[in-house]
Amino acid sequence: MDDEKRLDREERIRYDRQLRIPEIGEEGQKRLKGSNAVIVGVGGLGCSSATYLSAAGVGRIRIVDFDVVKRSDLNRQVLYGEEDIGKRKVIVAQKRLSRINSKIEIVPLFKRIDEKNVFEIIEGADVVVDGLDNLATRLIVNSACVRRRIPFIYGGVSRLRGMVTTIIPKETPCLACIFPNIPEEEGRMGVLGVSPALIGSIQALECIKIIIGGGSSLAGRLLRFNGNDMKFYIHEIRRNEGCKICS
Amino acid sequence: MRVFIVPGLVELRIKVDPKREITREGLPYIVMPWMFAPWPEAREKGVVSLDIKGDTLRDLLLELSKIYKQANVDFEPINPKTNDIDFDYEILLNGKRYVVLKKGLDTKLRRGNEIVIKMNWRWDG
Repeated sequence: MDDEKRLDREERIRYDRQLRIPEIGEEGQKRLKGSNAVIVGVGGLGCSSATYLSAAGVGRIRIVDFDVVKRSDLNRQVLYGEEDIGKRKVIVAQKRLSRINSKIEIVPLFKRIDEKNVFEIIEGADVVVDGLDNLATRLIVNSACVRRRIPFIYGGVSRLRGMVTTIIPKETPCLACIFPNIPEEEGRMGVLGVSPALIGSIQALECIKIIIGGGSSLAGRLLRFNGNDMKFYIHEIRRNEGCKICS
Repeated sequence: MRVFIVPGLVELRIKVDPKREITREGLPYIVMPWMFAPWPEAREKGVVSLDIKGDTLRDLLLELSKIYKQANVDFEPINPKTNDIDFDYEILLNGKRYVVLKKGLDTKLRRGNEIVIKMNWRWDG
């Protein structure tokens, strides 16, 4: 057994509640410890997924963002406080996440993702979690994940609604199957903090399930949440046979 | 009125009483197969034809909601609470958003009109 993947006494206590879950157990916890996740964007979605992936014990989490904390972020980006306004999100997030779990490694990358640096950013990842706020960058990450065969968990929100789907390269539709071209971006529609909290948590759960080998529940399926009437819908989606990225 | 529905990638394209035969030729493969749920027999051909009671955009959308509901699919472009288009959808008539139409959803549909019902995806984070 690889020493670094062994669980020590403190870890057994820390993760006690999830070690009791048969689907996770000691083997699953060791897998989490030995895993690498990349979270692209630490806004509303990324704050939520990063919190739960850190708490669950994902061994190495790379968080990527080029933005600083603004007052208007505070309604939903719960890793930041008033005293953080003007500071780099990734640096503040790293400190907060390390306070949640000092046994894991949080690597902050203050970078704007583009076609040139995206492969370096996702290098070595077992899973990439979407925390972005625009389609153009999502398509760049999607394309790189398809090429490197890394699962990519899409999440998006607006107002009281949100969506999640898990992209398993060459098996499920990728984002470009659905959006071959970048449509005109709509203006900001507003977001209530609980929408990214919920969607980011579902993304974190998908990520954990993939890492522990339990498989994804949303691969090839689109989950839609509507908080106005508190409904969840799940639809099957298929690959676009003419997709220029994954076909 | 008679309408022909061609599910696109992530939207429904609808022609009202077209002059020519409607086929899927040149259209990409559908990514969301659940859009065919009320008409499984039409999957192969890829085109659905049906008669709609009424003659306005609202009549068409309400009828479609009813048909999808019977197939247990959530597809309700008109929000029953607001009686207006739901935030999850975008409606175009001949390429124009329904909000710029003089009579909005109560615009009468005419022969050859094309309606597109798009699902809105979420991009904010």
